[in-house]
Amino acid sequence: MSNVNEAAGSKFNMLGFLEKVADYTKEAVSAAKYLVDGLGVTFDHMRRRPVTVQYPYEKLIPSERYRGRIHYEFDKCIACEVCVRVCPINLPVVDWVMNKETKKKELRNYSIDFGACIFCGNCVEYCPTNCLSMTEEYELAAFDRHSLNYDNVALGRLPTSVTSDPSVRPLRELAYLPDGIMDPHELPAKQKRAGKLPSQIIKELQVKKSQEDEDNNSSEMVPNNLNSTN
Amino acid sequence: MNSGIDLEMSFTQGVQNLGLSHELAHLLWIPLPMLLVLVSAVIGVLVTVWLERKISAAAQQRIGPEYAGALGILQPMADGLKLLVKEDIIPARADSVLFTVGPILVLVPVILSWLIVPFGQNLLISNVGIGIFLWIALSSIQPIGLLMSGYSSNNKYSLLGGLRAAAQSISYEIPLALAVLAIVMMSNSLSTVDIVEQQNTAGFLSWNIWRQPVGFIIFWICALAECERLPFDLPEAEEELVAGYQTEYAGMKFALFYLAGYINLVLSALLVSVLYLGGWGFPISIDWFSSLIGLSIDNPLVQIMAGSIGIVMTILKAYLLVFLAILLRWTTPRVRIDQLLDLGWKFLLPISLVNLLVTASLKLAFPMTFGG
Repeated sequence: MSNVNEAAGSKFNMLGFLEKVADYTKEAVSAAKYLVDGLGVTFDHMRRRPVTVQYPYEKLIPSERYRGRIHYEFDKCIACEVCVRVCPINLPVVDWVMNKETKKKELRNYSIDFGACIFCGNCVEYCPTNCLSMTEEYELAAFDRHSLNYDNVALGRLPTSVTSDPSVRPLRELAYLPDGIMDPHELPAKQKRAGKLPSQIIKELQVKKSQEDEDNNSSEMVPNNLNSTN
Repeated sequence: MNSGIDLEMSFTQGVQNLGLSHELAHLLWIPLPMLLVLVSAVIGVLVTVWLERKISAAAQQRIGPEYAGALGILQPMADGLKLLVKEDIIPARADSVLFTVGPILVLVPVILSWLIVPFGQNLLISNVGIGIFLWIALSSIQPIGLLMSGYSSNNKYSLLGGLRAAAQSISYEIPLALAVLAIVMMSNSLSTVDIVEQQNTAGFLSWNIWRQPVGFIIFWICALAECERLPFDLPEAEEELVAGYQTEYAGMKFALFYLAGYINLVLSALLVSVLYLGGWGFPISIDWFSSLIGLSIDNPLVQIMAGSIGIVMTILKAYLLVFLAILLRWTTPRVRIDQLLDLGWKFLLPISLVNLLVTASLKLAFPMTFGG
């Protein structure tokens, strides 16, 4: 009896052991498979073109709503200080005096410290006379942080555009490339980007809307309150 | 058996004809291959560093070094020069003697191991009888140097890195040695020249990789672990240990570690090609080829051609393996220390033992194909 039991026990153990070995082998084989898959991915990446933009010689063209250094037109400013009020940290310094005779504000100086500015664009958004605007300038490195405090003269300068700089090769960003092209380097000139421009989309929407309005008016003859204000 | 070009014999004979004694001629000969191998090892490292940087860049869709020489080929030279002129710092609370000896003890055994790397029939420094065993013995000196430099730095990270290096080397030395043992059993010799010769009877079909596929994988994994290449670079894992045992090193002492790491990588790749990929052997047998063009195998032209083909083949095979190592570096994530030891002791060790056992039984069963 005891012999039989022992034999059965050892057989059971043996099976368990073999199962363990089989599981282990399966795991090892699948691990090796994944490793080969991974090597394939890495190998495939080697034949792709580098995505590097070689910065001082090549630069990406900033998008049209890029929020770079702020441009300021002194003559348009009415010193209303709306820019100061909408600024998260009240950054713009508007230096004006009241001219008692004309009873008008006289602007003397205007400055923004770009060492503290977060380029949120609130001032540009709220300026009643549009004297503030965003440029595409982003190279604001300086040796002295005080030199980042731009006065109205510095704010009035226009940056050199990437596309007009002869020492820089301008490259289009990914969203501005034609359909199916991923690399801005070997791009034929004058090729249009994929999709439509925002202005085109807006125009199309307006046309569509006006057509719908006409249809509604002609078929149902019910005045549409929502669209009545044009 | 044809012995091929014997530069040593012709050199000593030439010098003896000038009227010098045989011993003196031998003495004059000895430094020549040593210098040659040292120089070629260093050049090999420069090439490997450049390849590593370029291939890494390509795998990440970057450009890599570009301005130092054509395609940045002088970048490793510039790196080396920078390290050479950098200040040599020994931390105030470090043990200066051990701190200095450590990197030397890491580099010297690696360079010494080049003694046994054959580039052709007689193109190696010394065909020592213990051959491949010498390399295994020498490579176990290295962890002592690593532990020494880690301990003497007086830095927590260095100490941990040194301990990890020691643990890793010990765990992976055993399966490595067992994989080599299976090869040795098949070729009935420890000498690297014999091991290669025995693989070159029928072109690439007689390479050891077909008879020892498991051994090949074990050897390659262990060699990567010995070199502390990326899936196993725990001793210097920068996310955990800053730079492991190298943390406190700067300048030339750091350069010694750097050099040792890359020489070791090239050496391991060379040894894989020697042990498993037929060493200097061309995929097609040279005898067959020379009979095809109708020249005797003893023809000097054929001999020179065979010699240069041999050197090129050895280096080519080695650099293909270096390429694989670099590709693996950017493919595999680093293992944890427990996974590392698990892999070493619970996977590679039993498998290499089984491999040895199977090789032994196959040798008994088929003495013709498995070297009776």
